[in-house]
Amino acid sequence: MDIIRTQNLIKDYSLGKVKVRALSGIDMRIEKGEFVAIMGPSGSGKSTLMHIIGCLDRPSEGEYYLDEMLVSQMPKSALATVRNRKIGFVFQSFNLLPHLNILKNVELPLMYGGMGKAKRLKQAREILDSVGLADRLRHKPTELSGGQRQRVAIARAIVNNPSILLADEPTGNLDSQAGGDILEIFNRLHSEGNTVIMVTHDALVADRADRIIRIMDGRIVDGNTP
Amino acid sequence: MAIHLSESIKLGFSDIMMRKVRSVVTVIGIVLGVMCIMVVLAIVNGMNQSTMSWMNERGGLNKIEVSKNWSYDWSKGGDASFSLKEIRYLQAQLPEAEAFNPSAMDWELTLSKGETRYTTPILGVMPDFTKVEEWNADKGRFILDRDIDEYSNVIVLGTEVANTFFGNRNPLGELISLEGQQLMVVGVMKFRFMKPQGGEMAFSENSLGYLNQRCFIPISTMISKIKPDSKISSIDIRSTSPEAAAELRKKVENIVLNLKSGKRLFEVSSAKEQMDTMKQNSKIFGAIFVLIAIISLLVGGIVIMNIMLAAIKERTREIGVRLAIGARGWDIFLQFLVQTVLITGLGGVLGILLGYAILNRVGVYLQMNVVASVQMIWAALSVSVGVGLIFGIVPAIRAARLDPVIALREE
Repeated sequence: MDIIRTQNLIKDYSLGKVKVRALSGIDMRIEKGEFVAIMGPSGSGKSTLMHIIGCLDRPSEGEYYLDEMLVSQMPKSALATVRNRKIGFVFQSFNLLPHLNILKNVELPLMYGGMGKAKRLKQAREILDSVGLADRLRHKPTELSGGQRQRVAIARAIVNNPSILLADEPTGNLDSQAGGDILEIFNRLHSEGNTVIMVTHDALVADRADRIIRIMDGRIVDGNTP
Repeated sequence: MAIHLSESIKLGFSDIMMRKVRSVVTVIGIVLGVMCIMVVLAIVNGMNQSTMSWMNERGGLNKIEVSKNWSYDWSKGGDASFSLKEIRYLQAQLPEAEAFNPSAMDWELTLSKGETRYTTPILGVMPDFTKVEEWNADKGRFILDRDIDEYSNVIVLGTEVANTFFGNRNPLGELISLEGQQLMVVGVMKFRFMKPQGGEMAFSENSLGYLNQRCFIPISTMISKIKPDSKISSIDIRSTSPEAAAELRKKVENIVLNLKSGKRLFEVSSAKEQMDTMKQNSKIFGAIFVLIAIISLLVGGIVIMNIMLAAIKERTREIGVRLAIGARGWDIFLQFLVQTVLITGLGGVLGILLGYAILNRVGVYLQMNVVASVQMIWAALSVSVGVGLIFGIVPAIRAARLDPVIALREE
């Protein structure tokens, strides 16, 4: 079953009077439970593709089905709901809220999902336990190492049990030791049946994936079959 | 799927606590504005209450007074006095009046008994005096109709006068002399007291103390035997209700004008109408100051709007993250609007507390009666919350409309 299917995705940006085409017809399929790496040089359109897959942005043309649901035409508020329920983001720079402790950071998606306080506290604790941070619940992100911060970010991404886990250069700000630990976690999540999509330009990182999709000039040039 | 309002409030509180100094600076304008509103409303309220209790002590809102018209051009001739006959005529014309009492007053007459002498105002009155002033004899009796008809030599003393002459002894039945006449004490008036209101504080401890010095005799006795040259120049009348007072006042004015062949020798005023004028004045005074306070609140609101806009700019990335993990525009809108309203609301509470704390000092300083009320607190609070709502909307909309991709890119 395809968790992601796109047909002829096109994304244009207008920079002043000049129209720039970031994506020029992406047809892509990703199956449930796959671990896919998206690779490409900077300016290739991989970030734009990730934003559209992550429902942060909408394509100019084309169709995008997420979990059999046509999301490319949805209004903004509905996209927010989709992001909350179906997508977990892990960013290169962690993007934790600095003034909240890590328990509260992990709780946030559940809060926006409308879950009650007691239940979401329990769920957030369990997830943080699973990434080995049970003893740091009250710590602020600034009191943690880079690797620990990224584990908090992963915990936040998976706490809602999303359909896809979307990671953008998740090891880009980490040393090789910490980066290795993070990739281990992604491998484990994948082995537990999660769909993982990772944007990277690091070949060693991409090698962990089942499949590598390569992008160049807004088109897929390789790896388009599951 | 939406976050609950309680979550937004918690979020707003923690944001405020995290940025205490900024929050305090943000809200100073609101605190001062609300404080001003509190103090001004309390002063207006106090003024009204003072007027009201004064009026009540002086016979209430049913009272109508006929007195010498000081703005009349006396060079045209005329005598501002009534004869007993005119008084009887006027009284007969006013069956709807609840009470009717003319008085002839002499400010300085000397009472004596043995060695003791006491100079004080003496009033010649009729029995209705007790109804008009709502003040009666405490011991013995007041002047009766019989005393008027028979020109009786009787007197009712104020408590201070009774104390001066008789101390603790019973004064009833005793004789006292006034202008060569022996008068029998038939009663002692009830003691009068009212706490001074503000400005009078410096001058006396009992703002009605002067009444305890007054003595009363039949009006007929006054103008025939005691002071034949004294004049009946004032009449107090009571209507059955404050509402009926205005009409009765007009009627009295017309009759008096006719009696005095069209000359405005007398002024006829009603307590109700005086009260309304005073209330109107204090309302205007209050409105001006509340307007000033509201302008300061608006300025405070604009400051808050700017600070919130800056805060949103600063927190763009945070907003981006919240949007990425599933916050809707509405959630972001609510987060910032609630935060603004909380800040101004807390500012309002602070302003109310500060206003309340300084109220009494202001009262003492201005020598005025200040009275806080629950309505004032609600008014101040709703104004401050309203400022938050109005000036919080623009920043909140701007935050809610951020594009997540652009917001996430912000450093």
